[in-house]
Amino acid sequence: MLGEFLHILAAAAVSWILFVAVDILFKLPEAGGVSGASAIARDIQAGGGALSGGTMMGNIVCSPDASAGTLLAACGVYVAGIPGGLLAAALVFIGNRICHDPGYAGTTGAVLATFVVYAFTLVGFAATDFIAGMVIAILTIQGLSHTHASRLLARLWRFRQ
Amino acid sequence: MIALYVVAVIAVFGVVRATLERNTGRKLPFVNVMNFAVAGALVLLLDHPLALVAAVAYFVGSTLEANAIASTYAGGDRRG
Repeated sequence: MLGEFLHILAAAAVSWILFVAVDILFKLPEAGGVSGASAIARDIQAGGGALSGGTMMGNIVCSPDASAGTLLAACGVYVAGIPGGLLAAALVFIGNRICHDPGYAGTTGAVLATFVVYAFTLVGFAATDFIAGMVIAILTIQGLSHTHASRLLARLWRFRQ
Repeated sequence: MIALYVVAVIAVFGVVRATLERNTGRKLPFVNVMNFAVAGALVLLLDHPLALVAAVAYFVGSTLEANAIASTYAGGDRRG
């Protein structure tokens, strides 16, 4: 029981690093993909947060990004192994186009996460650990403190620049 | 099945935070947390290969709705 809980926490850390790295690599904090993402960024900035971090959070809300890709790839690996994860990546690609997102952060994140999750299942992790882990990871960015999360993302974005 | 309970608790937490938040722009990330949690819970609850398609359909649909709400809140794109 404790072992499963520790697996979930470790999976959360791996998912967090994976999706933040891919999103920042694909320059999500640079500009809002749609006008709604910029509006969310402005509101987060008005609440004391950082604009570039808020822009990335707005983009996460408005289109499936690497975090969604990681979650759905973990779901895919749970249901059908690597083919399931790659099917999830294809569906994320279609989801990006539906949401008017010209980027490839979601698809790339899903393909990478498929192999990462599968590799961890070979060393004793369950794919369900990554489903719960990714939900915890997104909670730390979008659900606890927008001010602190946006400042942290802005700091990582400056590092990327 | 600790994973299912973790995901369910986070879904409820997202709903509570979204309900308590007054600012529309800052409400949407909390709704986003709930969407992640519900998509995860769908796959954990439904023991069927098509659960993946259901989760993706739910997630993309809810993201498109959040996109529409946020863009309307922003004033939308002015055309013509």
